[in-house]
Amino acid sequence: MEGAGPLFQMEGISKSYGGVRALQDASLSIRAGTIHAILGENGAGKSTLIKVMAGVVSPDQGQMMLGGNPVQFASPAAAMEAGIACVVQELSLIPELSVADNVVISNPPQRFGLIDRTAQRRIAEQSLLRAGAGDVHPMALVKDLPLSRRQMVEIAKALTRKPRILILDEATSALTASDVSKVFEVLKRLRSEGLALLYISHRMNEIAELADECTVFRNGRNVASFPAGTKSDGEVVQLMIGREYQNVYPEKPTAQADAKPLLEVQNLSWANRLHDISFGVKPGEILGLGGLDGQGQRELLLALFGVLRGLEGEVKIEGKATKLDSPASARKKNVGMALIPEDRKTEGLMLPMSVRDNLSFASLDMLTVRGIVDKTKEAQSIDEMVKLLAIKTGALDSPVSSLSGGNQQKVVIAKWLMRHPRIILLNDPTRGIDVGTKQEIYLLMRRLADQGAAIVFYSTDYAELIGCCDRVLVMYNGAVETELLGDEITEHALISSALHIRPKENQPRERVSR
Amino acid sequence: MTANALPQFIRKADPAVLTAFGCIILLLVIGGIYSRSFLSPEYLLQQLKVASFLGVIATGMMLVVLLGQIDLSVPWTVTAGAMMACAVAAYGPVGVALAIPFGIFCGALIGAINGIGVAYLRIPSMIVTLATNAVAQGIMVIYTGGFSPQDSATDAMRYLATGTILGIPNAAIIWLILGVATVFVLGRTSFGRSVYGIGNRERAAYLSGINTRRIVMIAFAASGALSAFGGVLLAGYASKAAQSMGDAYLLPAIAAVVLGGTSILGGRGSYMGTVAGVILITLLQSILSVMQMPEAGRQITYGLLIILMLLLYGRSPAIR
Repeated sequence: MEGAGPLFQMEGISKSYGGVRALQDASLSIRAGTIHAILGENGAGKSTLIKVMAGVVSPDQGQMMLGGNPVQFASPAAAMEAGIACVVQELSLIPELSVADNVVISNPPQRFGLIDRTAQRRIAEQSLLRAGAGDVHPMALVKDLPLSRRQMVEIAKALTRKPRILILDEATSALTASDVSKVFEVLKRLRSEGLALLYISHRMNEIAELADECTVFRNGRNVASFPAGTKSDGEVVQLMIGREYQNVYPEKPTAQADAKPLLEVQNLSWANRLHDISFGVKPGEILGLGGLDGQGQRELLLALFGVLRGLEGEVKIEGKATKLDSPASARKKNVGMALIPEDRKTEGLMLPMSVRDNLSFASLDMLTVRGIVDKTKEAQSIDEMVKLLAIKTGALDSPVSSLSGGNQQKVVIAKWLMRHPRIILLNDPTRGIDVGTKQEIYLLMRRLADQGAAIVFYSTDYAELIGCCDRVLVMYNGAVETELLGDEITEHALISSALHIRPKENQPRERVSR
Repeated sequence: MTANALPQFIRKADPAVLTAFGCIILLLVIGGIYSRSFLSPEYLLQQLKVASFLGVIATGMMLVVLLGQIDLSVPWTVTAGAMMACAVAAYGPVGVALAIPFGIFCGALIGAINGIGVAYLRIPSMIVTLATNAVAQGIMVIYTGGFSPQDSATDAMRYLATGTILGIPNAAIIWLILGVATVFVLGRTSFGRSVYGIGNRERAAYLSGINTRRIVMIAFAASGALSAFGGVLLAGYASKAAQSMGDAYLLPAIAAVVLGGTSILGGRGSYMGTVAGVILITLLQSILSVMQMPEAGRQITYGLLIILMLLLYGRSPAIR
């Protein structure tokens, strides 16, 4: 009966926040039984589009049709009722509750007014199985699960509501490669069951593998829709950014400067998570951290930045043993360290505060005279950073939460660059941001290295490590598994050492010391 | 241009602050209808003086609330400040000279203990400040139980609390100076920025290299000192310190801060809002007592009105 007509349609949708137009006369049409990919830079209006569909945001103009009838969603619950479920980038699970509790949280099965725990567990098991996460125990607490498992639970939670349209917003950005392929199988099965899937990702290869239809958004409008596979990656990217797309990675310097390491780590261990790690980073060098997610890379960066208590081993700055026991001591002038944290929303920024206050927040000690902020100096530094990173913001006084994801990330980076750090630690800085901004970050990293900074760069994206780093340490189970230098950094080498597969002829560079 | 200036100014202001000022005008109108003398300058100046005591205490409370914490040790910190100031005055001219600073110092000490508990021992502020309140109460009771220390206020305390300069009550001038200083500290110093930062997202503030523990500690110490200073002024106003003189100040201090639009979760709020909240609470109390409502009815009306006004703020449309 639904035939070939679209299951869901929106037309002329506009939405503004304050003076910023997030969506402008956008339209979209989705058919049942297809996977529809939405592409676009951050700030192109994708997130707003989803929020409109999921009832989180009400549009200023335009109309939506579901199965041929006009619909309006007063709340997320209403959208869910109509059959639109959303798996979002930000995890919406409650850590202190069990997986089963979380999966059925919006509509738990009841008996005599109490939650029927047996039924709840059964429903959860079914949903988890359907989401391809049968290995997750329904009674496990969510806080005990690694990030990638949580994301699978999130998908299971969405499926429990028996949606007709499933929206996945960057749902794979936290997943490991093996989980991604599992999720893909699930998504393909859901498609064959007649669901319409709306898929948003910044990973082009995922879209090429999954999507049937693609729609590209730019500046709040849908600029093109086409069947998947009819355009080359280059053409698609050009549609997204509206300009010619060059080689994304800056050129690496051919010869390494023969300098002494600026940051040196010797036999660093922490609790049961980091084991006997030693390495050095020279000025001008970009050192990558590779490996599967959760092998101690994040802990290593936090340890260097003085966040973790009870470290063993030694950290040397310019050859001098230095005790770093807090971010405050790591950012001091004689150390000059900066950490771009993993989660910009909870660790990098104070979202409700203004762009200005966020930008100067890490440099307050340098911008104040006896504790009083020097407004002129502050304005100068902020101006410099906004220009340096080309941060797109309407007004410096608007809250930083009003910026797009890519621009928020730029603010996080800028607030640290304002201190002119010598050692820069980056914890997956390109996660969930658009291609254009990613490229700007790569260029910036190389420029900072050329100016003499020592950079430690953790990324979950192997292509980035290959493209950006002079040297890569692959971590496994809290220790450095392999060191890859220059041309040795290949996808094959990265993956095999990440998976702890050693070549048969056990070559010398198997475990790094010094 | 000028026609545009006012709406611009109003548009930029926090709606909660505007609501609070609106309520103040409403109260004055109601009072004025009830009795002409409500709008007389003498009455208004008297109210301003009474409001100043609450204003000093609420200033400290606001600092702590901006951090996302709360200070429930206000009642006995106020009392301790007043009693210690009066007591030290018994020790000759040096004691008299040191009375005010010593009272404030005792409050800062209580606040510092709160700060250590919250910042370093990581005890929820609601618990730690309640506990120090109980301890301070115990110490004051022991102190006054055994022998009777001097409990009358010094001349300086009386002058600060009841004197006037050019017809303006000194207490109001003190509040004004304190308010200007607070606005400056919150808006222009790294301490103020850090307070807002910690209130919004402590983790991000810590990872930005802010010494978050020190800031929390200072804020609590300041809150204690300001409560005690409020107590010193109250003792001057009443000419003597008395037990439980601070009991009446906990709820009004919190209510004034929250009615002024400061988020109880921290990170958001302006000092003008707190000023409005303090005046609003003071007028409300005064009008209820002038209307000669029995004590029980006054308490019920007072509590209900605070709930009503908080609901009024909650009605502002959610941004969707």
